[in-house]
Amino acid sequence: MQGYLNRLAVFDLLLGLALTVIVAWALLGTCFKLYQWASTPSPLPIPLTPAPRTRYGVVVRLLAEIVLFRALAKANRVTWLASVFFHYGLLFVLIMHVRFFFASIPSSLLPFIVWSGWAALAMLLGLCVLLIRRIVVDRYRYISTPSDYLHLLLLISIGLSGVALKRLWPVDTFGVGEFLRGALTLQWQALPDGVVLVVHLVLVLLLFFVFPISKLLHGVGIVFSPTLNERDTSARSSSKGKPSQ
Amino acid sequence: MKLSNDNTVVDTPQVVGRYRVIPLIQEGASAASQTAKATADIQESLGLPGTLVDDWHDKAIARLGQLLKARRGLRVFMDTCTKCGACTDKCHYFLGTHDPKNMPVARQDLLRSVYRRYFTWAGRLFPWLVGARNLDKSLLQDWYTYFHQCSECRRCTVFCPKGIDTSEVTMAGREVLASIGLGQQYSQEIIGKVHSIGNNLGMKPRALADVLQSLEEDILEDTGVAVRLPLDDEGADMLVVTPSADFFAEPHVDGLIGYAKVLHQAGIRWTFSSEASEAANFALFTGQHDHMRDIALRIRHAAMGLGVKRIVIGECGHAWRVAYSFLDTLVGPMEFLSPEHPRAEHICEVTHQLLTQGIIQLDPSRNADVVVTYHDSCNVARGAGMGDIDGGQFKIPRALLAASVPKLVDMSADTTGQATFCCGGGGGLLTDDLMDVRIKGALPRAQALQAVVSSDQVTHLVAICAICKTQLTSVLPHHNLSDVQVTSLHHLVGDALVLT
Repeated sequence: MQGYLNRLAVFDLLLGLALTVIVAWALLGTCFKLYQWASTPSPLPIPLTPAPRTRYGVVVRLLAEIVLFRALAKANRVTWLASVFFHYGLLFVLIMHVRFFFASIPSSLLPFIVWSGWAALAMLLGLCVLLIRRIVVDRYRYISTPSDYLHLLLLISIGLSGVALKRLWPVDTFGVGEFLRGALTLQWQALPDGVVLVVHLVLVLLLFFVFPISKLLHGVGIVFSPTLNERDTSARSSSKGKPSQ
Repeated sequence: MKLSNDNTVVDTPQVVGRYRVIPLIQEGASAASQTAKATADIQESLGLPGTLVDDWHDKAIARLGQLLKARRGLRVFMDTCTKCGACTDKCHYFLGTHDPKNMPVARQDLLRSVYRRYFTWAGRLFPWLVGARNLDKSLLQDWYTYFHQCSECRRCTVFCPKGIDTSEVTMAGREVLASIGLGQQYSQEIIGKVHSIGNNLGMKPRALADVLQSLEEDILEDTGVAVRLPLDDEGADMLVVTPSADFFAEPHVDGLIGYAKVLHQAGIRWTFSSEASEAANFALFTGQHDHMRDIALRIRHAAMGLGVKRIVIGECGHAWRVAYSFLDTLVGPMEFLSPEHPRAEHICEVTHQLLTQGIIQLDPSRNADVVVTYHDSCNVARGAGMGDIDGGQFKIPRALLAASVPKLVDMSADTTGQATFCCGGGGGLLTDDLMDVRIKGALPRAQALQAVVSSDQVTHLVAICAICKTQLTSVLPHHNLSDVQVTSLHHLVGDALVLT
């Protein structure tokens, strides 16, 4: 108790407090957007046809877009490949981070820990291609705003600092776990020492902060896209029988 | 340089760029192409302000706010774009004009920048960071210009990884513009005519009856068979609603004759209606849902008045989208229709069914020396379906053509089917004041057509949309393709039909 009242200790806990607040903000903010989308009426059906006729078909269509980026593959192979490298690299690295939620590492996560360096490399490679094309191709440069570049730079910085933590300045992973678990269970702990670690964490917090108010929402927004999630209900009601009401 | 119909000088694009080569952007390249603003009397007849209102800024933002609350698609599309650029080289107007504001994402951004400024935290606090802009006079001008250089064909949606539909953004933009006094003359005048007279051309019932009678005489003279073109025939089983261009203009009217021959041969008792003598629904283009409903309501009302059991839509692209996808929502349910035909049907569906059931016969040798390629119309391809099979909107018209002509050739796969290129004149752009944009917008279609003309000596381009037919007829000569005859699908079906 004495320690908690110590001003220095409170300063130590600031990062943990910030993590709690920003995670809550990101979750609530995203939930608000989900609610806003879901509660807005969709007066006329505008599926992009040919469209699936069943709900199962809609799930397949959405999965093809979410998992395979099907439309992007049709549109531009370079962007598609870079996106696949980035998104799947990120997914792999995120799964690796699940280790910090456990006091002792589950064996199922071991491969992810071993290979996460390569995944981070793939992610960085993808991000660099995405950034370069945005600068080099006149069409992409024309449509880009400062935030579009900053999102990429932010993700690249997070990736680089993460790689640095793994390869150059290894940290007390157990301490990081205690810090994270503490912040998420409201029993805040100090972050282990390390400048790069602080940088990595602050950048991640910035990313979480902008998530619900930026284009990063596309990850959840795609599910609400009426062109993709609506069925072709007229197809069933053609000459072979009446539609179910 | 060449003079267009209205005597304005128009640059004839010599097929700019090579096939499938993406052009470099050229800012402001098509900024000067303007469509005439609706006159005060037209606007006021539709309950809209006659000229730009004094408090246009506040009114526009308020109307945009209402639309964001009323249309989920618009709201989601505003939020989810990542500026990935996948759509940037997919719009025929960009490929033809090189104007970067004709890239779908840039077109959306005209509205999105305002959305961000007035409706998001990031845009309110850091406009420079997220590309948020105040709605000023110059941006308003861009709205008017570039929301009228979009044919709402939804080709960009096919390639968008988030499924963003630029047509919904264009419609919202036009809706806001009309609500502050900046409607488009061409579309709003047509909507007015449909309301007051019953069709886009303002053709009165008496004139329509005369036209149909003279067409009956023509068919009798040509074939020796008394094929009827009935109007307001109470007790008919089937109401045919077709774009009014079918009643008088070439090549549309040949298609109309084709419908009549097919229905005659099948022994179906059918009729046109003078009340619903128009399938087109231009309120789809302007985004005005209330007018769209009222125009659709005429069809329901006419069908009930005549006591028909089936509604059939003629060769009209966007009318088919409205009939197929929206009719039930707008004016349904159509409980008075026969249980075997509970929704509006496309004339191609009807003909195809008659063909597969052996009720009609087609003889391709009657179209000797005809080599056909088929242009998928955007609203049919991406906004509707056809028949009971997946992709019926692609397969059924081709099946009818294959049975009607000796040779059917497809254009390159990235310009047909779901990825079809717009003719360049859809979405309320089929007006002389946009001729420059229309010619340039037809470029990708013309290039794909040129390829099959060279390789397979294609003689006819077939479409099932009145806008496509009118547009392609008038712009293909600008692309050195005047030898290709643009025609109706039912023209060739009618000629191949074994008529007794």
